[in-house]
Amino acid sequence: MKDKRIVSAAIVMSVAAVICIFAFLQRGGKDQTQNELIRYNASFLDVFDTKTDIVGYGTSKEEFTAQVEKLKEKLWEYHKLYDIYNDYEGISNIKTINDNAGIAPVIVDKEIIRLLLCAREMYEQTDGQVNIAMGSVLSIWHEYREQGIADPEHARLPERKELEKAAAHTDINRMIIDEKASSVYLEDSEMSLDVGGIGKGYAVKQVAEYAKTIGMDNVLISVGGNVCAMGTHTDGSLWRLGIQNPDTESEEEYVQKVDLEDACVVTSGNYQRYYTVDGKRYCHIIDPNTLMPADYFAAVSIIAEDSGEADALSTAVYNMPYEEGLAFINERDGVEAMWIFEDGTIAYSEHFKDYVADTRTQ
Amino acid sequence: MGKKTWKYDIIVIAVLLSLTLAAYIAVRLAQDAKTPGGVAVVTVDGTERGRYALNEERREQITLADGAYNVLMISEGRADITDASCPDKICVRHRAVDKSGQSIVCLPNKVVVEIKGGEKADVDLITQ
Repeated sequence: MKDKRIVSAAIVMSVAAVICIFAFLQRGGKDQTQNELIRYNASFLDVFDTKTDIVGYGTSKEEFTAQVEKLKEKLWEYHKLYDIYNDYEGISNIKTINDNAGIAPVIVDKEIIRLLLCAREMYEQTDGQVNIAMGSVLSIWHEYREQGIADPEHARLPERKELEKAAAHTDINRMIIDEKASSVYLEDSEMSLDVGGIGKGYAVKQVAEYAKTIGMDNVLISVGGNVCAMGTHTDGSLWRLGIQNPDTESEEEYVQKVDLEDACVVTSGNYQRYYTVDGKRYCHIIDPNTLMPADYFAAVSIIAEDSGEADALSTAVYNMPYEEGLAFINERDGVEAMWIFEDGTIAYSEHFKDYVADTRTQ
Repeated sequence: MGKKTWKYDIIVIAVLLSLTLAAYIAVRLAQDAKTPGGVAVVTVDGTERGRYALNEERREQITLADGAYNVLMISEGRADITDASCPDKICVRHRAVDKSGQSIVCLPNKVVVEIKGGEKADVDLITQ
């Protein structure tokens, strides 16, 4: 009786061992069951002159790669349309509009019209903190920054006079949009558009919507600091994002984790694009009021449903003192913000914690 | 007698199998926990230039056609860019990476060092 039990136990153990070994071998190999969705990721560096990351699911690497190619193509379309530095054959873009300031209206793609209307709306909502008609001022800073990066020893700040002169040509009301004709005209020949503070966010949202139409329901798209989380993981769990530590040398890679579903997070910060003059860091975000780089925070992250809105708001809030920005964000529905100060202190808007991975009620 | 030998054979086999399995699992777990199984994959403008195991100390200079360069150091299971010709040096200032999916990017040189395999990161993506 006792022997029998030992024998059955032994048989059970051997069978279990064999099964386990097989399971392990399978796990090690490239097991691909039919219809099983596998997680893939892709990244590239060219579009919008920044890093794009795409995380998604597919039945095969080939399928995922083909879908990513389509998203990349779409991103390139937006890149070309919103470019202020380069001409592209057969395309009228923002540069074309700028080149024709004070000369003639330019007929442009509907995606430019939509972006500019959205930008005008954000100008009004932020009391002018986000102004795409600041091109004349931004281009001065751009030039000094590029020179300062190339030759740090001789990095300089722009002359106050030069900035003020340019600031006289930043009236967004002189950007005339004719929706019917799909044309844009800048009345002031000295003015120019720079959609850097909103274009990427807007484009990412459009591309994320496009992703759904090609069967990518569960996808994470990140272009520069603009991240759109569409759907969830295929198992229903939310996308988990780490908010980058502005101190990129620190061992801590991110300072907070947020869980998102059909939402976007956009960060404006001083740690990616900046230059240094006499030991002080000057970032690429210029406060329309002072005409100087904003320096209240190391970074501001905004969570919203639309990354175009989030992009504009992160720029706006980056330019506002904390109390002002806090009141501004708390007044808005469906928008949350997180501020990271230079000393590493973190502050949150009223309901930001609802997104924080560790405190979120499951 | 024959019956009994058979019985003990089974027991011996079972015990051996279980021990093998246990040893296998133990080795595997130890591997996962101790040696970083990841590799640092270096790409230049999207084209893979090389992959280097994180468990081997090394210094690798990534030189571009125009003379631009990034120096990759792998030390103590982590990959780091310690020097570069790019003007902004953002890649040099970036922390060392060792977890799956983490990366260091040098936009001017279009060089990316990305970790594949190895320890899993606990987030899907880090915002930039």
